Amino acid sequence: MGRGQGVLTATSTAVEAHERAHLSEEARRARRRARASTLGLASSPVGYLVLFFLVPVILVAMYSVGALTLLPKDEYLSLQPWRDLLFGSIYLGVFWRSVQMALIVSVGAVLLAYPIAYVLALVAGGRKYTLLLLIIAPFLTSYLLRVLALRVILQEEGVVNSFLRTIGALGADQSIGWLYNSRFAVYFVLIYVWIPFVALPIFVALDNLDLALLEASSDLGASRWRTFRSVTLPLSMPGVIGAFIFVFIPTIGEYITPLLVGGPDNFMFGNAIQGAFLAGFDWQFGSAMSMFLVLVVMALIAIFGRYLNVRTVSE
Amino acid sequence: MSDLRDSAITLDGVRKSFGRVEAVRGISLDVYESEFLTLLGPSGCGKTTTMRMIAGFEEPDEGQIYLRGRDVVGDPPNRRAVNMVFQHYALFPHMNVEDNVAYGLKLRKVAKEERKRLVGEMLEIVRLSGMQRRSPSQLSGGQQQRVALARALVNRPAALLLDEPLGALDVKLRKQMQLELKRIQNELGTTFVYVTHDQEEALSMSDRIAVMNDGLIEQLGTPREIYEHPVTPFVADFVGVLNALEIRVDEVGDLTATMRIGDGERVVVPVPTGATTGQTLMAAVRPERVRIRRAAEAATSGSGSAVQGTVALIVYLGTLTQFHVDTSLGARLVAHRLSDDSATAVREGDRVVLSWDEEDAAVLSDA
Amino acid sequence: MNVAVSKGGRRTLWGLFGFLVVFLYAPIVILIMFSVNDRTLVSFPWQGFTLRWYRTFMQNSALLLALRTSAMIATVTAIVTVALAIPASVLFVRRRFFGKPFVSALVLSPLVIPLVVFGIALLILFNTLAVPLSPWTVAVGHIVIALPFAVLTLVPRLERIPAYLEEASRDLGASAMTAFRSITLPLMTPAIVSSFLISFVISFDEVVIASFIAGDEPTFPLYLFSQLRLPSRLPQVIAVAVVVMLASGILVVASEVWRRIANHRLERQIALVEGEEAIA
Repeated sequence: MGRGQGVLTATSTAVEAHERAHLSEEARRARRRARASTLGLASSPVGYLVLFFLVPVILVAMYSVGALTLLPKDEYLSLQPWRDLLFGSIYLGVFWRSVQMALIVSVGAVLLAYPIAYVLALVAGGRKYTLLLLIIAPFLTSYLLRVLALRVILQEEGVVNSFLRTIGALGADQSIGWLYNSRFAVYFVLIYVWIPFVALPIFVALDNLDLALLEASSDLGASRWRTFRSVTLPLSMPGVIGAFIFVFIPTIGEYITPLLVGGPDNFMFGNAIQGAFLAGFDWQFGSAMSMFLVLVVMALIAIFGRYLNVRTVSE
Repeated sequence: MSDLRDSAITLDGVRKSFGRVEAVRGISLDVYESEFLTLLGPSGCGKTTTMRMIAGFEEPDEGQIYLRGRDVVGDPPNRRAVNMVFQHYALFPHMNVEDNVAYGLKLRKVAKEERKRLVGEMLEIVRLSGMQRRSPSQLSGGQQQRVALARALVNRPAALLLDEPLGALDVKLRKQMQLELKRIQNELGTTFVYVTHDQEEALSMSDRIAVMNDGLIEQLGTPREIYEHPVTPFVADFVGVLNALEIRVDEVGDLTATMRIGDGERVVVPVPTGATTGQTLMAAVRPERVRIRRAAEAATSGSGSAVQGTVALIVYLGTLTQFHVDTSLGARLVAHRLSDDSATAVREGDRVVLSWDEEDAAVLSDA
Repeated sequence: MNVAVSKGGRRTLWGLFGFLVVFLYAPIVILIMFSVNDRTLVSFPWQGFTLRWYRTFMQNSALLLALRTSAMIATVTAIVTVALAIPASVLFVRRRFFGKPFVSALVLSPLVIPLVVFGIALLILFNTLAVPLSPWTVAVGHIVIALPFAVLTLVPRLERIPAYLEEASRDLGASAMTAFRSITLPLMTPAIVSSFLISFVISFDEVVIASFIAGDEPTFPLYLFSQLRLPSRLPQVIAVAVVVMLASGILVVASEVWRRIANHRLERQIALVEGEEAIA
């Protein structure tokens, strides 16, 4: 507008007062109309999410501190469930085990997805979008059914063991112990399930990379490996961290995979929460565990949120 | 002077702020029936906001807007009898040319046969007959522009609002479309309100120009008034250096008028609205459009204008060199050339021929 | 010279890429193979081709009922989700208002809420409101988790549709609603179809939330889950898994391809209209 910032600031209060006093009736009506239509657009999605997303989570929070109770034995307004959870329960141990498992799964998925994304973005050339779809396609089919497929392959009477028996590598009643109902099985299945999803944000980061930077680096005499380490990798880090967090968060609360291929010894925090509600009927303690997990997720989002490019879900 | 003419649009003390930015700071203006009025000014001067308030996309904070005497403030765009041609034409990409043009008619529930006829007629006026089935993406920029015009004009609006409609076209096409717009306006007699930042465009097309700056109208007048008697330093500066020459029409051609000076010397100007022999016209040409050659080397044949003169002054402006030439027309003309142009061989005192193409000259209208 | 990779590196990377593609698809291929193996156990040895597992599941009325329940829930979910996602995407792309960051955080947060927690939260909600659990309550939950995916599918498309098209339509006499219906909505169609299908598939596949609030009528994933304890049912479970997986995969991939092509086409059309500005 060709005016200095200082002038704008100096006159701003005068302008606002002027606006309030002098807006014509029509102008005010037009503003009200615009506001009403924005409100109209917002009302259905926001109303729906408040009612069926925000309110339920608030109810969980209320149960966790006894503001609401289910059974007569439950204590009214008490922090006991939180104390039980945070000090000396086995569940905190389950939580840390879940964190550890989620870390391994996330790192594994990122390590395997990175070369996929690298090939797609920097090596594949014109075919990259077709190949990208090839990689994402499994992610678009049923999660549950893919876990089921791996269970059929890994279980005692499954494809791998029966194959090894058929060729005589295993005895008739033998099976590989670590293949199923094991920590390995949980890692294997979760990494398998997540790879396409992780490849996406890394691909986007690498695809947006300015090739001139790589060329500049190689002009300066850097080897390809050196270029990768000092230019490509750091520049793709936001995508990598975003992908990592996108896997890490849901994996801590994982429930289906440990149940289907992990066995009770490898249950994760999600299984513990489910158990408290459906097996133990301890809604207070289950709610405390749930809210604890929600708070952890919120903290992670607060720290790493800027790396989460949710757009990669759709584009 | 023309208080008795009917107003198509009246603005009375119109103000508009966006947050803390005052875009329009009190504008009063009458746009008369059938006139071509241009809002001219640099970007951010409030001209587009003014136009959007007339169309109904913004409501003024203060002031009144009348269309043919009716107060329309508060009416949504669909209830205002004006139509707009957008900067990017805003053709609907999922509809063919016919459906685009018929859109407004359909909303007004005009019968199908009648619609077809009106669309056909309008496409003829904008010279796109037979293009009904084309999709907008199959058209050139100039053709899209014509579809946008037809789509607005077919509704017979009280006024047509044009928001920098030629900004997206290349120079040559822009010149053509200027003449074309003027022709269509004459043919239909529709009131045009035209927004542009291009002073040459404004000077050559408008009946009247409102020069805007910082949310206010600095001067309102005919192109000649604006050009010859700028009332503020801003107007003088913004309208800028142009070569103006008064010519007497000796010959009238097909949309051109020619003045013969003698020995191959002549001035040719486009006259989209026609001219009569013996009439006096004010023509303008931009210094950067004027070519300069030593008289000995120049060929005076060919089309366009050619005028002889003596170089009075040469001013070096870095990459640009300015030649001031006293011509046989009596007026001093200025030519701008790149300094590394071969024309820099010209010295002060040399006899030279100045020439420019027909479409580079514009007649300042004189209402 | 390609600065991203050397010749040898290229071969190694393609090799790794190929290996990972095989890794991703092998379980699916194995599942298909064993769904036609004429053996009661889903394992080697190979005993010849049969379609009897497909016939068996076609005659399993409990399974078919579960499929129908899930299809019903998924349809309701997809319809309501799209109906909510359209105004939400218009809000995000076309409006500026106080509290916008809060609203976008609200719409996107179902992406990161642990499903176990959300399932329990809904269980508590319906318990508090004394709403009996049914397929309808499942749909209520599925809409919440499908909504961010639907919105994120619509937003990029809407961003490609210039706002001035709707203004032109208003200017030519259309009311706000008519302008949206006749201009923006048709141009959004590919993304709307995509978000419908994505919501449908998300709901059809969802098992965690359903496990808390499905009540007595199991959804298809819940039915599968319950059958896993019975090894004799496994072959037909696998047969139906193959059918569902291929159907949903083909559907979603086809709609993705179509959506991308449509996006490019619209971009080209808009660019053709606006493009000359860059030259001038």
